[in-house]
This record gives sequence, C-alpha cells and structure tokens, in this order.
Amino acid sequence: MIELKNIDKFIESRFQRIFILKGINLQIQEGEFLTLMGPSGAGKSTLLNILGLLDEDYAGDYVFGTQNIRQMKEKDRSNLHKSEFGYIFQAYHLIDELTVYENIETPLLYRKVSSAERKSIIADLMDRFNMVAKKDLFPAQLSGGQQQLVGIARAIAGRPRVLLADEPTGNLHSAQAKEIMEIFQELHREGTTIIQATHARENADYGTRLINLVDGRIETDEKI
Amino acid sequence: MWKNYFKISFRNLQKRKLYTAINLLGLVIALVSFLAIALYIYHEWSYDRMYTDHSRIYRFNQEFKFGGEAQLASMTPSSLIPTILDEIPEAETGTLVFDLSIFSSVLVDLGQGSQEEKKFAFVDERFLEVFDFQVLAGQKERMFSEPNLIVLTESTANRLFGSPQNAEGKSLKVDGKDYLVSGVIVDFPSNSHLDFDFLASFKTHRHGKEPAWSPSNYYSYVKLREGADPGALEAKLDQLVLKYLGAEFQENGFSFSFFLLPVTKIHLGDQSLSSIKPGTNIKYLYIFGLVAILLLAIGIINYVNLATAESTERNKEVGLRKSLGAGRAQLFGQFISESLLLTISAALLSLLVLGLLFPELNKLIGVPLPLDLVFTPVGIVLLLGLVLGVGVLAGFYPAVVLSGMEPIQALANQIKVGGGAWLRKTLVVFQFFVSMGLLIATLVVNQQLQYMQQVNLGYEKDRVIALNYHYSMRNSIETLKQEFSRSGAAQSSGIASSLPIHIKAGYSIFPGGDAQKEFAITGYAVDQDALPTLGINLISGKGFVETDYSRGKAFQDSVEMPILLNESALKELAWTPEEAIGRKINFAGSPSVIQGIVSNFYFNSLHHEVGPLAIFLEQDEANTILVKLSEGDLNPLLASMEASWKKVYPDRPFAFQFVDQAYQQLYQSEQNVGLVFGIFSSISVLVALMGLLGLVSYVALRRTREIGIRKVLGATEANVFWVLAKDFLKLLGLSAVLAIVFGIWFSKAWLESFANQASVGWSPYILSVAIVLVLAAVTIGYRGWKVYRLKPSQTLKTE
Repeated sequence: MIELKNIDKFIESRFQRIFILKGINLQIQEGEFLTLMGPSGAGKSTLLNILGLLDEDYAGDYVFGTQNIRQMKEKDRSNLHKSEFGYIFQAYHLIDELTVYENIETPLLYRKVSSAERKSIIADLMDRFNMVAKKDLFPAQLSGGQQQLVGIARAIAGRPRVLLADEPTGNLHSAQAKEIMEIFQELHREGTTIIQATHARENADYGTRLINLVDGRIETDEKI
Repeated sequence: MWKNYFKISFRNLQKRKLYTAINLLGLVIALVSFLAIALYIYHEWSYDRMYTDHSRIYRFNQEFKFGGEAQLASMTPSSLIPTILDEIPEAETGTLVFDLSIFSSVLVDLGQGSQEEKKFAFVDERFLEVFDFQVLAGQKERMFSEPNLIVLTESTANRLFGSPQNAEGKSLKVDGKDYLVSGVIVDFPSNSHLDFDFLASFKTHRHGKEPAWSPSNYYSYVKLREGADPGALEAKLDQLVLKYLGAEFQENGFSFSFFLLPVTKIHLGDQSLSSIKPGTNIKYLYIFGLVAILLLAIGIINYVNLATAESTERNKEVGLRKSLGAGRAQLFGQFISESLLLTISAALLSLLVLGLLFPELNKLIGVPLPLDLVFTPVGIVLLLGLVLGVGVLAGFYPAVVLSGMEPIQALANQIKVGGGAWLRKTLVVFQFFVSMGLLIATLVVNQQLQYMQQVNLGYEKDRVIALNYHYSMRNSIETLKQEFSRSGAAQSSGIASSLPIHIKAGYSIFPGGDAQKEFAITGYAVDQDALPTLGINLISGKGFVETDYSRGKAFQDSVEMPILLNESALKELAWTPEEAIGRKINFAGSPSVIQGIVSNFYFNSLHHEVGPLAIFLEQDEANTILVKLSEGDLNPLLASMEASWKKVYPDRPFAFQFVDQAYQQLYQSEQNVGLVFGIFSSISVLVALMGLLGLVSYVALRRTREIGIRKVLGATEANVFWVLAKDFLKLLGLSAVLAIVFGIWFSKAWLESFANQASVGWSPYILSVAIVLVLAAVTIGYRGWKVYRLKPSQTLKTE
C-alpha cells in the first residue's frame, strides 16, 4: 500500500547538509502493524511525519496505493490525508477548549460527516472505550491514559486505513501503556494498518514488523 | 532602580518588534492627530484675545423690530459710538469699522495703473485705542485724525512700497481719490476677526463727518471702563435710543435696540450674523475635539489590549521575578516604565512627524497652526502631562494584571488569558464602534455635500462667470455686453446686484387691499438680460424688456414699477399665477405691478428653504456682471473677454470668478468637516486594524498548537480562519450595531441643519460596516494564513 523510494531528508547548515533521513526504501502492506524503533534523533518522528503527509519537504518518491504523492494536486493530497490517515501523539494534543465529545467530533466535522452519523460514530467510540460518563469533561480533567484514549478515539473516528502513532505511550505509566497497546492490537486485527514509533521494546511485541532506525538509516527490518 | 526599569523595558520592547511597532505607530498617529486638532482648536479659541483689554471690548449687535418680527444684525448706525462716548460714562472708548467689501472692492493706484483691492475699511480715529496693534511707522495719535489719511498693514506696505518706512508720507489714489499714507501697523494676526490691508480714516466718509442713525452699515466696538457692567450700559443705551429716536419709532411702527457681544465671542458666535471674516461654528470645534479624544483613546486601547493579551507570554518572567523577591510595587514600576518609555518615544516621534507635516497641515486646515506653542514652558508642561497621562492610563491596567499574578501559577504558566478578556472585548468593541461610526459619519456628510453639488438649483451655474461691476461703469456697460457677444465669447450677459448663489438684500412687501399683512421678502436687482443669462425659468407672465421701468426711473416718473415674484412669494400671498399677474402691490415702499412669475431657485445656502423673492430692474444697485460663456476652450474665451474689457474700461482691472466655484465656497465649512471626518475616520480604522492585527497575532500564537492539531485532523484554510475570526467577528458585529445606531442619530442631527437633505438611505451604513469587516477579515486572514502555513510536524513537537 505504501512505498518509499530513496527518501532523503536533510537540513542545510552553513557548511554541509545534515541528514535526518538518508536513503530510506520501505514497502508497507495493508494490514501490517509496524514499529519504528531507535535512539532519540534517529529520525523516527520525521519518517512518521513524511508517511502521514505532514512533511512534504524531502527528496525521493512516496507512492500511496497507485498514486505518487509528489504528483498529486494540493487538494487531492489534502483529501487523501483527511480520508486515509489517523494520528496519535505522545502529548495527546487534545484541544483544551473542547470537551471530550467535541474533540472526537472535530475530524468528522472536517470530513463533512452529517450530524446524525457523527452522533452514532461518537456514541460507538465512547461505548467502546468506556468514556460515556466523561463525554462533557475537558481534557484537563482527565488522566493521561484517559486523554490518550480520547486521542485514539479521535484518530480512528474518521475510519482511516492507516493509523500513525508517535510515542503513544511515552507519557503514560506501564498499566496505561498496556491498555493502549491492546487497543492497537485489536484495531490491527480489524484490518487497520498501524505504524508506531516507540522507545519501548515491549510495545514492538504487539506488532508484526520491527524496523530499527539509526542515524537516519534503516539498520534492521524484521518480521515478528 | 528606575534606570534599571528603563533598561529592561528597552530590551523588552526591542525584543518584541511587532508588538512595539504596533503600539508605537498607533500612539504616534493618535498623538499627531490629537496635537494637530488641539492646536487648531486653540487657534480658534484664541481669537481676539491679543488685545490688551480684550475682556473689556465688546461689539454691538442691533435688533430691529417691525410688525412683531425681530431681526438681529451685527451692523449698526454711525451715530452709535459718538453718542455713547458723549453720554454714557461706562464707555472708556469705542471705535467704528466700515468694511467696504460688503459693497464693493476698491481700485488702488500708485501712479502705474490701478489694481483691485478687497480688504479695505474705514475706521475712526480711536481704532488703535481699542485694538492696540503695534505701530511700525507713523504717529499713532494722528493716523486717522484727518480726512484722506490711510494706514497700511506691514505686508501691504512691503508689497506696494518695499518697506513700512518707505510707505509713510507717500500718497496713493483709491477709486480716484487722493490719500496720504499716515502710518503702517503690523499685519492682522490670523486669529483676529479683523482682516484688512488698508485702513482709511472714517472722516473721509460722509457719515464720518456727520454721523447719522441710518443706515446701519458699520461695526461698532466699545471698550468699557474697568469694573463697568455691560448690562448697565445696555440699559442706559436703551434710554438714549428712545430719547433720540422715540418719535421716529412711533411714526414708522418699527424700533431697534442694541446688545453687547464680547469681542472674544465674535469668531465662534452666531454664524448667521455677517462678519468681516467667516467665523467657525463652535459645534464643529466640539466635534473635532471629541474626534481627537477618541483617536487618542484608540491608541491607548491598542496598548492596553496588546499588553494584557501579551501577559501570558510574560507569566514566567513575573513568576521568576517574584520568586527572586520582587514586590508588587516593583513589578508595577517595571511595567509602567515600559509604557512610559513607549509613550515618551511616541511623543517625540509625533513632534517630529508634526514638524514634517506642518506645511501640509496648514494648507489643509487653512489656518497657520501655532506649533511653536508646544515649545513654550506651558506647552512643554502640558505635553509632559499628556505623555504621563497616556503612559499611565495605558500602562496601569496591564501593570496591575501582570504584577498581581501568583508566583507559582505564573511560573507553571497556568494562568489563563481569560482574566481581562471581558475588558479586552469591551475595548475592541469600542474601538471598532468608533471607527465604523466615524466612517458612517464621513459618508453621510459627503453624501450631503455631493447632493448639494448635484441638486438642481434652478439656475445655470456652469460656465457662468461673474465680473466686478461698479456704478461708475454704468455708461458703457451696454457697449461691453455687446462687445462680449460680438466677439463670440459670451452667449449672453447681464448685470445683477449679486451672484445668484447668495442674494441677501431684504425688503418688505405689502399686498395692499384688505386682509393680508406685510411680510419680508428678498430683493434681486437685475437688468433685462440677467435672468436669461442665468437660465432662470419664467413660468407665467412676461420677463423684463429694455423699455420696462427701472426702480429709480419709476420713482422719478411716479409710475408703478414692474416686478417678478418667485413661487414662494406667490405661495405666501396665496394667489394663483393668473390672480397675481397684473396685480398692484407695494414693494419696498414703491407702488409696483406683478409682471411675471419665475420658478423657485436657490438664492441662499441649502440650509434654508427657498424664501419669497422679488426681482426688479435697477442698474444702479448692481455689483456684478454675469456672463454665460460660449462653448469651447476657456482660455481663449477669457482672453477675448479681457481684450473687450480693456477696450471699454482701460482703467479697471479685469477680475472674474466662476459662479460654480463661488457656490462651492458657500459650503467651505461643511467641506472642512467632511475632510476632517474623512481623514480621521481613515486614521481610526487604520489604528484599530493595527490593534486587531496585534491581538490576532497573540491569539494565533497562543493557538498555534491547536491550529496544528486541527490541521492534522483535516482542517482547511477556511476552517482555520474561522477558528481565529469567530470571536473577533462577533465583537465587530456588536460594534457595527452600535455604530449604526450612532450613525442614524448622527445623520439625523447633521441633516437637520439643511432644509434640503440628501436621502441618505442605507448605503453609508452597509458600506462602512462592510469596509471595516472586510479589512478586519483580511487582517485576521493574513495572520491565520501565516499560522496555517506552519507545519504541524513543527508546531506539535513534543518538548
């Protein structure tokens, strides 16, 4: 489903280019649960951003399905981004001014989902994550784990085919982390393609494939 | 300590460039406008305060009463001052000024051809006792003591003789009469209601030799003794008038009395009274003053808004300082010094800007602004007061908010911007209310001005010029008119007592017979060609022909004089045209017969309805030659006319004015108001938008992360714009509602003073609100777009 060909990402400094990613070739099949690991600064987040169409400033080719991202029109790219991807962040990135319900609703609003349909989708998600009682609370009133659950609910509300997670459990303690990973496993079983970046080796065990990044290169790529 | 405050403040301001720029620019614009308006108001207020005893100097107004009607005038008879000085002890001295320009200009001849002069007056020998202008040459006591003496102002002396010293003792001819230059005084200052180039001794004039109680053509001034009561003088004067004129009053059924008006109130006083120099309506000064204060308020509001919005940014600094032991007072000092530093810089900059704009401003406003006042001790103290006031006003609230934060919370950056949000919102609403309101006012004013340009006046004013006519020209005037037509320069020409735009001469009309009583009517003296030249429409009866009797001739031969009336006069008489034509009535004391009816035309400013008007033939009362030009280029036509003129009147200068331009000058003060509104409403919109840009920038900064998230979730530019704009547009909507309410009130109040009003409709409201909303949306959009362009991969970086 996703193919990266010879991706380079660098910063021009005064005397030389500093490479963040160098010569990345990667194929990801639909339904895979892929984990990116590596030390800080290895380029995990950068690669995730490129995959999620949040960063277009790189060299090389990115083919999604049959389409080369570079050759797509801005509008089509933005539509692809809206319809196919869901994002989960280490810092949750919920909107402070919105309630749990409204946070989950936001991506649906941008997808122009009808009001009735929105209600049913959100109701299902709340049910699934046991958050019905919390729907009118603001993010600041929730624990970290609960916030991340809202983050996940928001990410999958639009039924994306690809879920991107950058250190999803980085701010959580282990029991909460375990809960999140189990949800990922379940989503994977339902057919969602998941790509996560993490420091924690135990998280990788929930996945099907593990890639080790070191200094912007793929060092190992193994099936689990 | 303060040195440290200012040093830190300077660094802070330097660091946040947009913030500093917006505040500085806003304050400079506001201060420049404020100072310019303040100086203008001061100039207008300072009128006639330069005479040593200005508080004891008064001008007389005269009230005529006849048939139950009263009319106030500023001109008085020549007997008034001599009588008062003889019989009323309260009067220390007094003087009389005869402004000749109300009748005609004069021709001044130094021996090398004559030139036309307009600022010519006769004054009596006590003039300088009342108005103590500095004498540059000549002996003060003897300047006006004999007939045929003349005093020049400094610039006139320079113009005619090279220098004041050179002018003294020289002779010159005025309208063919010899005068000796007896002295030179300084130019009349721009803030004196007196404005002449030549002052001739009143003893030259017939009424200077033999004062009389009629006619009332003279301005009379009196200087009271110290401590004298003006009321007492008025009361004694009433007795005197009765003593001298009581019998005459009784006989003729009219009377008059006199009132004192302080000299300092002439310029800003009743604008309906004639005066040497056009006065200023004090209402406009209040409006301008209000505008100045509003502009200053907008500048201050920008500072308060930005500073409080920005306070989130400075939480950490405050927390840190507090944990290091800073007291509230010290923090307060720190923040106040920041606003003071900004205001002082703004004040210095605005003085610079004011200095640079000075020549332009003077041209624009039409009076020399007393800029040097700023640098007098009082000016400096006032300016410092203003700076301190603005600085403290602007800095006080932000300083209270910032210094009041709890250290722990401040450090943890947990304080919500919510504090002070209501104030900020109120202030934003106020700012935009002011700018939209001013914009609406501008459009309403200009709509009325435009209407006045376009309204059908009932006579032709385009391509009509007016030349000066003097009764001494009467023998050759027909030759000149024929010459104009023969050369092809003019379609037609005629002479009249004044331009049609402003006919003033008042008469009374008495229908005679049974019921109707006498009423006041305006009179227009013309020759037989003037009405066709002006294209004035005859709706019934006959116009004038050459063989008709003129007023003078009819009187001589004791026959009825033919007159034309306008529709308003007819309405007043309650006659149909058929009933009126051929009717005999008494006009201006003479038996007359109504020969025709003309359509109403506007012979007065549009502030008034068209009143009753009678038109009669009389060359000797004419002051102007009206010429309807032929088609084609103006310059050759004018050149040809000048050639004809020189042939017929080699000794008289050829001077003309366009009637349409003279018409526009009638509305000079309204146009000034329109201009001032235009300029300052644009400024207020600009400054308010700058403030908005600053506020949006802070909101955008604060919400960068949120916008990043929304973008990841699929938000488009429009979505992001809406997130930022929603709250502001709500506030602006409220401003719009308030501004419209104000506008409705304003347009009613403004248009009320015009008898003929443009129909304003909704366009000024819609246009003003739309302009401001679009500009605000562009401002917000610009900032929103900049945030939108930020990559979420950067804005969402986890620390």
